[in-house]
Amino acid sequence: MDLLKVIENTISALIGMDAAYFALAAIGLNVQFGYTGLLNFGQAAFMACGAYGLGMTSQYFGVGMWWGILFGLLFVVVLGVLVGIPTLRLRADYLAIVTIATAEIVRLVVRSVRFKEYFGGSDGINSFSTPFRDLSPFDPGKLYGLRPFQYSGYTLWTLLVAWALVGIFSGLVFLLMRSPWGRVVKAIREDEDAVRSLGKNVYSYKMQSLIIGGVIGMFSGVVFALDRGSVQPDNYSRDVTFYVLTALVLGGVAKVRGSVVGPMVFWGLYVFSDNFLRELTKDQPVTIFGFSLLQKSQVGPVNYMLIGLGLMLLMTFRPQGIFGNRKEMALDGR
Amino acid sequence: MGGLGARRIRAWLVCLGLGLGFFGAFAGEASAEESGFTITASVQDQKVDGSSTTRSPVAGVTIVVTTPAGAEVVRGETGSDGKVVLPVPAKDSYVITLDVESLPDGGSLINDEKASASIEKDAFTTNDKLVRFFTGASASSSTSLLDKILQRSVDGVRLGLIIAICSVGLSLIFGTTGLTNFAHGEMVTFGGLMAFWINVILGIPLLLGAPLVIVLGGVFGYLFNELIFGRLRKRGIGLISQLVVSVGLSIMLRNFYLYQFGGRTRPLDDFSLQVAKKFGPVSITMRDLTTAIISLVVLVGVAMFLQRSRTGKAIRAVSDNTTLASSTGIDTQRIIRIVWISGGALAAMGGIFRGLDEQVGFEMGSGLIFLMFAGITLGGLGSAYGALVGGFFVGLFVELASLVVPAELKNAPALLILVVVLIVRPQGILGRKQRVG
Repeated sequence: MDLLKVIENTISALIGMDAAYFALAAIGLNVQFGYTGLLNFGQAAFMACGAYGLGMTSQYFGVGMWWGILFGLLFVVVLGVLVGIPTLRLRADYLAIVTIATAEIVRLVVRSVRFKEYFGGSDGINSFSTPFRDLSPFDPGKLYGLRPFQYSGYTLWTLLVAWALVGIFSGLVFLLMRSPWGRVVKAIREDEDAVRSLGKNVYSYKMQSLIIGGVIGMFSGVVFALDRGSVQPDNYSRDVTFYVLTALVLGGVAKVRGSVVGPMVFWGLYVFSDNFLRELTKDQPVTIFGFSLLQKSQVGPVNYMLIGLGLMLLMTFRPQGIFGNRKEMALDGR
Repeated sequence: MGGLGARRIRAWLVCLGLGLGFFGAFAGEASAEESGFTITASVQDQKVDGSSTTRSPVAGVTIVVTTPAGAEVVRGETGSDGKVVLPVPAKDSYVITLDVESLPDGGSLINDEKASASIEKDAFTTNDKLVRFFTGASASSSTSLLDKILQRSVDGVRLGLIIAICSVGLSLIFGTTGLTNFAHGEMVTFGGLMAFWINVILGIPLLLGAPLVIVLGGVFGYLFNELIFGRLRKRGIGLISQLVVSVGLSIMLRNFYLYQFGGRTRPLDDFSLQVAKKFGPVSITMRDLTTAIISLVVLVGVAMFLQRSRTGKAIRAVSDNTTLASSTGIDTQRIIRIVWISGGALAAMGGIFRGLDEQVGFEMGSGLIFLMFAGITLGGLGSAYGALVGGFFVGLFVELASLVVPAELKNAPALLILVVVLIVRPQGILGRKQRVG
């Protein structure tokens, strides 16, 4: 058992690519769920908008890859409006049901054989990130930094870009929530009717919040797609939204630092558990009295079980997560 | 307080027993996947006869798995179920080729270019990747549109009945407690997996085992309430937080099933091979006809129970207005318990039917949850009869829509129902208006 390797991987996961793209998605979800009280269970679809925007643009439209971000924005707005119109006037759980269903349909459409010529089916769209790679100021063949923070030039470049975006959007959301607009959406979360009686158009504010959160989520998809150089539909399954939600709750809902630190801790814990269990079962399965308790192939599901359990325990015993304020989590739909 | 403590301890013990039992039940199952990743190739002969498509497994076909470069990894022959499970060394890209020479006399693939399929590394969403091959003449469009519609309607009625059975509990739980239970699909899966355990692993005939499965489903529902949601209510935790807890529960249970049962879908032993009988233009197997009739009887029974019995009336009263109901002397906690137990039992029953209809797998219930949500929204969230009516129509609509919608997007029309209902009549067919705001 190589415990040192496990710890090393854990530490590097804290600021790894996964944490960065989760942080972007969580910042977006925080605008919707944390600040406005909108239960968006379809963040994965907004992420897919960004990723597919890039992929499709570079593959089919014959314009530069960067135009893809514009297309991503367009997709986000269309999706947000489509989902928002029927649900934003209703109670929170309707939005949850419709967004989760929409996200699933989006995933099924982009991975379908019928629309393969546009979205590439289950293979997705591959190798389009050359324009982004070319911008890298680092030598791709060289290793930078010291272990456990040692990266190839290209990884370092994507990481820097991703975390820079995290920083920019954190700052923007922080300022936005201190602005009059932010005060209104927070008031909507607390008491919608009170805000309406002040003459504010609650519906419009909710829609704006949904789309702003979606746009930030879109950048998460963009960053992820650039890092992988590919877009695959199964990276945007409904569970991705739930993992982002878990990371956000872990950090603390309705706090900007919660939405950044949460994903870091989440990935630290996940990578630790994953690496630890894999090391444990590397040579032989773990058994008790001849019963096979855990073998290599079961490590994946066990990790996700732990995430589910973690989400349940967090919501029950520490809904405010690391940084949050318990009062801001007292959401009640009835 | 003492009595409550004893009950909670009892509930934990039952939960532990159920968990360990589950563990023991499938102990041998997951270990079958020794090396981790497998590719399952399925070869089926497809016959289009009038309006119905029947598929029968083809045995003895050689399947070869190679690397994209062409080096052979593993080969095998399909068994009597038309399938062969091929262990592969790692999650990687492979090419799966069907040896056309090994097909039974006169057999050919529906489409020649599909004699080999390549899968990408990332296609392994679970540890197993299923690749299907179909032999036989390609689908002819000789059947008339009317016949197709009739056949789809029959299929739709069957699906609708299953959805209705599964979602009664979901709707009643929402009505009595306000909780949107995202883990309800996992209660359906539980029924299917328990049926698999009893029927396939223990070898007990399904007809004898099914009542036990339904009882276990009731226990499962009881535990949901006793160990989790009842306590959250007592702690005064908001409904949205409870909803998120149910999401966590859903993730945990689904992966627990995956961990124990593995990623494959497998059929139940009993009634799995049946020949469709023709009634005029439509064909249906006796199994499907029987499950449809049982479902209908059960649903009528549920409706009668809600309408006539004392408990049923109390359930509707709590559903309408919890405070008012409790002030008239109804023990709301008892009613909620009954709702969870019966909801769990019905979901387990739906799981058995679904397992017979399709196959048993760890995601069989979570795939239905959208249809259930669409059904209860259409019927009216929380309305006692809404789930019956709504679920039924969603099933029917989804099957009919599949005449025009490709099979892989089969569930998309359910979303359409959901959106249209929410725009036009958010309270659903049978719901009341003040519930939605």
